[in-house]
Amino acid sequence: QDGLKQCLAEFRQQLTWVERLDVTLGPVTDPVSQSASTSDAVDPENDFQREMSFYRQAQAAVLEALPRLRKLQVPTRRPDDYFAEMAKSDQQMQKIRQKLKSKQEAMERSEKAKQLRAMRKYGKKVQVEILQRRQKEKKNMLNAVKKYQKGLSDKLDFLDEEQTSSQGNKKGSASQRTKKGPNAKRRYKNQKFGFGGKKKGSKWNTKESFNDVSSFQSKVAHNKGPGKGGRGGKGGKKALNKRPGKRARQKMKNRAR
Amino acid sequence: GKWKNKERVLIFSSRGINFRTRHLMQDLRTLMPHSKADTKMDRKDQLFVINEVCEMKNCNKCIFFEAKKKQDLYMWLSNTPQGPSAKFLVQNVHTLAELKMTGNCLRGSRPLLSFDPIFDQEPHYTLLKELFIQIFSTPQYHPKSQPFVDHVFTFSITDERIWFRNYQIIEEDASLVEIGPRFVLNLIKIFQGSFGGPTLYENPHYQSPNMHRRLLRLSVAAKFREKQQVKEVQKIKKKGTKVLVEEDPTEVVFETPAEEKPVEIQLVKPESKPIVKDKKKLRKIQRKKQKKLFRTEG
Repeated sequence: QDGLKQCLAEFRQQLTWVERLDVTLGPVTDPVSQSASTSDAVDPENDFQREMSFYRQAQAAVLEALPRLRKLQVPTRRPDDYFAEMAKSDQQMQKIRQKLKSKQEAMERSEKAKQLRAMRKYGKKVQVEILQRRQKEKKNMLNAVKKYQKGLSDKLDFLDEEQTSSQGNKKGSASQRTKKGPNAKRRYKNQKFGFGGKKKGSKWNTKESFNDVSSFQSKVAHNKGPGKGGRGGKGGKKALNKRPGKRARQKMKNRAR
Repeated sequence: GKWKNKERVLIFSSRGINFRTRHLMQDLRTLMPHSKADTKMDRKDQLFVINEVCEMKNCNKCIFFEAKKKQDLYMWLSNTPQGPSAKFLVQNVHTLAELKMTGNCLRGSRPLLSFDPIFDQEPHYTLLKELFIQIFSTPQYHPKSQPFVDHVFTFSITDERIWFRNYQIIEEDASLVEIGPRFVLNLIKIFQGSFGGPTLYENPHYQSPNMHRRLLRLSVAAKFREKQQVKEVQKIKKKGTKVLVEEDPTEVVFETPAEEKPVEIQLVKPESKPIVKDKKKLRKIQRKKQKKLFRTEG
């Protein structure tokens, strides 16, 4: 160790700083970096951290040296019209520029493709939503129309779409009473399956139809009519007249409701 | 101004270097206008011959690249007449021509030298720092130099090695771009004389590349040997100590020999079976036939 120091003492040249231009400084402390406070030792395996420490060391040196140089009147900025041979040839710089450009273009292309894909997905989602909304509206409209046809609601509000529900509640307390008409279960089923009516049980007897004895003809029931022969000749009309016509029947039906 | 600081650096190499080293040498020559080139030196000459070569060229510093086994690169930095010299192992060489180094600087402009503070902490590092300063800094008013200062050399110490980087100064606020080249120096020894003399310092952390490769090979071999040993142990375990069971004389009591079957000798070759391509189809046909029969019977 002493030998080293002796050698250094002999070897050292006494030159002005301007000749040597050396700066010994640690790296600039980065205000953003988290690692500066925790660990001073740079992990050599972590490439990025290592290179950043070198970069910052160079920065510190530059920040200190440039003012000193300016004081000593050594020029540091190259004037724009000063053309001289560079360490790397122009051809080399061209190659570098080309490479950088191509890299950037590739990145842009991939970005564009990603955006396009995202937009397409979004567009598809919006379209699906719109279609569904339209279908729902159509369904509601049809339901309202059917309701009106069946006579449950005598309002023609469904024609104007802008009407709010609050306005509907103010008009007609009669409609409020009729709202309690069918059961909750019945209402739910109406809402779910609509007013088309169930097909399956349409020809079965209901309570009303069972208790409806209007189409009972005792003579027909006890087989005491004029008979088939009599009907075959002239009595066809008379026998048939006992059942009212289609229109009469419909009238009766509507009036009953 | 007048050129006072007469430093001249001789940069040359031995034979057997590869393209990367050659490019590195050329890069150093372009970056340092106070350098001189020389032809390749034959390996059979002793190292102190270099001192004579330097004297002939009137140089007082020298950078000598030595390539061994076509794999390892060693670099000597020396102050030729009597001063100290140091030998390094060079690793991770990247040259100026690499496309990732985007910066550029004037050819022959003077560099700013930036050192890690660790250089001031140890005596051997201080000596190295002095050596670096004298070799790498371009003298002021050198005829081939440009008066501007537009790039900076960094020497940092990480992982017991010296890392060299070269950055271009773009703005006054110290935004930098790397120019290159870059390399890593692993100190081996410092000698008192130029290319010889007593050893002043030996790096305890240095491991020669041969040793490194040897260790790798040994570790691989050790793994293999371990596997084999484990296999042998398993073999021995399997064979193990077999328990000898004594012969039981009453074991044979219940044995009844089987009846002897009459030996039939076939003289005529048996009929060959018909080759059935589709067994399922055959079975289907059979079933149908049976059904028909069944129906006709019933």
